Amino acid sequence: MQILKNKTNIDFIGKRKPAVFISTLVNLAILVGIATVGFNYGVDFAGGTVVELKFNHSISAADVRERAQKGGLHDVSVQNIGSADENAFLLRMGGVTQLTEENAEKAKKAIEALGSMRNVYADLANGIINFRSATPMAAETIKKAVEDSGTGVQEVRVLGESQAGAGTDYQVVASGMADKVYSALGAGLEKPDFEQRRVDYVGPQVGKQLRNRGIMALLYSMVAILIYVAFRFDFKFGPGALLAMIHDVIMVAGYYLVSRREFGLTAIAALLTIVGYSVNDTIVIYDRIREDMAKFKGKPLAEVINIAINDTLGRTILTSGTTALSLIGLLIFGVGEIFDFAMAMLVGILVGTYSSVYIASPLTIWLDERAAAKEARHRDEMPKPA
Amino acid sequence: MDRGWWWKFGMIVAVTLGTIWFLIPSYYSLVVMDRDQRNNLVLLQERLPKWAPPAKYRLNLGLDLQGGIHMVMRVDTKTALQKRTERRGQQIATYVADKKLGEVTAETDPEKLQLTLKAKDPATMDAIEKDVLSTFGDFKRISRSGDTLVLAPDESQVNRFREEAVDQAMLVIRRRIDKWGVAEVDVRKLGTDSIQISLPGRSNPEQAKELVGTTAQLEFRMVDDTNPQFFAQMLQANPAPAGSEITLTDEGGFAQLQSPSREALLAYTKDKVPENRQVVTECIANPMKKNECSSYRTYLLDKAVPLTGESLSGADASVNQMNEPEVNISFDPAGAREFEKLTEAGVGRRMAIVLDDNVHTAPNINEKIGGGRARITMGRMGARTRDEWLGEAQTLALVLKAGALPAPVTVGEIRQVGASLGDELIKKGSLSALVGLGLVVLFMALYYRKAGLIADIALLLNGLLILAGLAFFNATLTLPGIAGFVLTLGIAVDANVLINERIREELSHGKSAKAAVDQGYDRAFWTIFDAHVTALIAGFILFFTGTGPVRGFATTLIVGLLASLFTSIVVTRVIMTYFVHGKNAQTVSV
Repeated sequence: MQILKNKTNIDFIGKRKPAVFISTLVNLAILVGIATVGFNYGVDFAGGTVVELKFNHSISAADVRERAQKGGLHDVSVQNIGSADENAFLLRMGGVTQLTEENAEKAKKAIEALGSMRNVYADLANGIINFRSATPMAAETIKKAVEDSGTGVQEVRVLGESQAGAGTDYQVVASGMADKVYSALGAGLEKPDFEQRRVDYVGPQVGKQLRNRGIMALLYSMVAILIYVAFRFDFKFGPGALLAMIHDVIMVAGYYLVSRREFGLTAIAALLTIVGYSVNDTIVIYDRIREDMAKFKGKPLAEVINIAINDTLGRTILTSGTTALSLIGLLIFGVGEIFDFAMAMLVGILVGTYSSVYIASPLTIWLDERAAAKEARHRDEMPKPA
Repeated sequence: MDRGWWWKFGMIVAVTLGTIWFLIPSYYSLVVMDRDQRNNLVLLQERLPKWAPPAKYRLNLGLDLQGGIHMVMRVDTKTALQKRTERRGQQIATYVADKKLGEVTAETDPEKLQLTLKAKDPATMDAIEKDVLSTFGDFKRISRSGDTLVLAPDESQVNRFREEAVDQAMLVIRRRIDKWGVAEVDVRKLGTDSIQISLPGRSNPEQAKELVGTTAQLEFRMVDDTNPQFFAQMLQANPAPAGSEITLTDEGGFAQLQSPSREALLAYTKDKVPENRQVVTECIANPMKKNECSSYRTYLLDKAVPLTGESLSGADASVNQMNEPEVNISFDPAGAREFEKLTEAGVGRRMAIVLDDNVHTAPNINEKIGGGRARITMGRMGARTRDEWLGEAQTLALVLKAGALPAPVTVGEIRQVGASLGDELIKKGSLSALVGLGLVVLFMALYYRKAGLIADIALLLNGLLILAGLAFFNATLTLPGIAGFVLTLGIAVDANVLINERIREELSHGKSAKAAVDQGYDRAFWTIFDAHVTALIAGFILFFTGTGPVRGFATTLIVGLLASLFTSIVVTRVIMTYFVHGKNAQTVSV
């Protein structure tokens, strides 16, 4: 069996200019989209709380939302996951602790009402309120006061007497959002009619760290790959491979941007895999170009590249096809992030194949032409030997 | 067939058998054992046949696949640092007054962590500044104007302090989780101020948060030494239940019960002590493993807690003139008064230092201690080296500080997966991997016929090698890891496609079967090599910079690419060579 019966002779390189133009346009559009609209960051990066609940009876997303709001959860988004009869829902909240700006104000007032207080300040990021009281107080009293103001309290810590003798320091730690979900939805029930299947809770500080580390990983690997390609091949191949890589990463990022799928750690993993796949594909074609350059000495580079791409076309289609084939299982049975990963990979395989032909090669030709022109100029300027 | 071929063939057979052998512990752990016993290494070791590899070489399931809790705790070093700066400020003020340099007030800015000294008489400020800066070397000057001097903690001191705070928190968390009795916990530092904790099989994030997140509880309690043989008599009157491994030891004339199980000791002594007394255990550190207890010992303590860590204001380890390590502790004014009363009444008795229900040490009280400063001299050097001895003093200081100067911890991240969801995910995950693999295997066999079958054999061996490799590195299989598994198989297929397409090309140029196979492999080699190496680079960078699920993915990718290099270049070539050279075939089926 063979996919391409006869040797093809398609003029890929001849159409490089419109292709580069369209690619650049799409890439720019995606970059502008990322800058203005932004990704739909998952809790991994944005911070927040996600709770997955599975009810043991039939219930609609609207009912779940209503129950949540009745229980005091206002800014919660409810999303049905899996098939409708599974009754599984994702509840998403921006905050990680019950200490919102509004709650913190109320809690501060409640604390100040307890006696003479100094330095009452709320650290919203960590969900704590620090304060100093002139007279020692029982932790229970503080806890009750804050809870009555509407914020769940996990613990009241006594940080000890101040050295200057100006009072005792206390710290109130607010309880987490997941806590509140459980109690809000179970309110009025003898026992909860749902199972809490998953809780993801990421503080905003951690989220920022995770995102920065992810992006750094992406940049590091691109640089490392560039160095490897420049070392293994000619220098003029390096920038092409890099550009193709960037092109593919932007395109896959575009998938996350347009589909509004959650952009989290798994998305970073997908982008990195695409870096690997893209360069893999580019290198196979580069390898052939280099081989053909030796074989057809004297032919212009554009023509050699056309031959090389045509020769490897069968392989390119097959490889992309089988890799896509191996993703089918993930696309059918994969849930949540795994499905997104497979979709992103599929997009990556398609653009990766395209970019090896239309992005990497034209840049190589351009660099080659420039080098040739420079050499020619150099020769002309050289004084003729006497 | 030449000798080289047989040598290679033998190696491949050996690798295959070795791979299967290596997967035996994983097979037992994931298929044979019950779900709740999956993480019990001791039980697994017992069940394994004698000839199998040790139980520790087994494939772990990630928390996302088996259910459990993953937490990241952030140590609030800022609050701790602020408290410390404030304390140092008061010390500076006292120092200035004691040395009769003048009179200053010290104020701490909690936001910027700066210390502002204000002199009563601006004329004295020059002398004060000079003396204070040379004595309090952990502070540096920020600005000075007339009667005001602004200081800030020195950067290197701040870093050391931060590190110490995180170490303290880790020590406390570790000890608490040990008490909870969770097998296979993993507690490690993450970055500069976070601690990462994995609790497989646990399902209540709120309980976990409470356990790990609360401030350490330090207590000073008196030991009841009125009857040194109390525990010996107890054991005589009520023999310990069979199998509980409770034994009697003698520590400086005091009888104590000892057992590797804390629960056994507490269960046995329950209801056997007077009402106002309580049995509290001490952890005997395992000399082989840090942060682990080899056994526990009993103490009979007064139930009353006269003094807690809240009254403590500092603890430091040092070496005295006798060259003995000692721990110096200081109390706040109220604590100092209580401590004086306590030591006066208890001269000749022992005082236990208890952290989170664990006796850390029980020094003898030699005399009444006033002034809020006490010294614990580390007794009996014994078999320990001086460094170990000093290390113990430092640990004690750390323990005291953990209870005294709270660097509070807050929850940075919690991820919990219920066990039922874990089961569902692993079912779906392996199903999708199998479907993907099955489709590719089928396609290759149809498209390349015999060469496709050979590639399929290599592919299956590749899959086994990845699993065995992960088991060898004791890596954890996560959901993204399964995705990585599928992807690596895709790259391995690409290698085989490259080779087979080359062979077809050579054949179409009219080459003989033998020449086509040889040239096909030779020409494809560098392409495959380059493709794998570049993907490996991405994998390694992912591994070193990523965390959690990304890391799991990277591990699978790295192991998979190495396996793919071996199977596509070595294994398929040996089999192909057998068909074209060994059987002297004139045609090749690609």
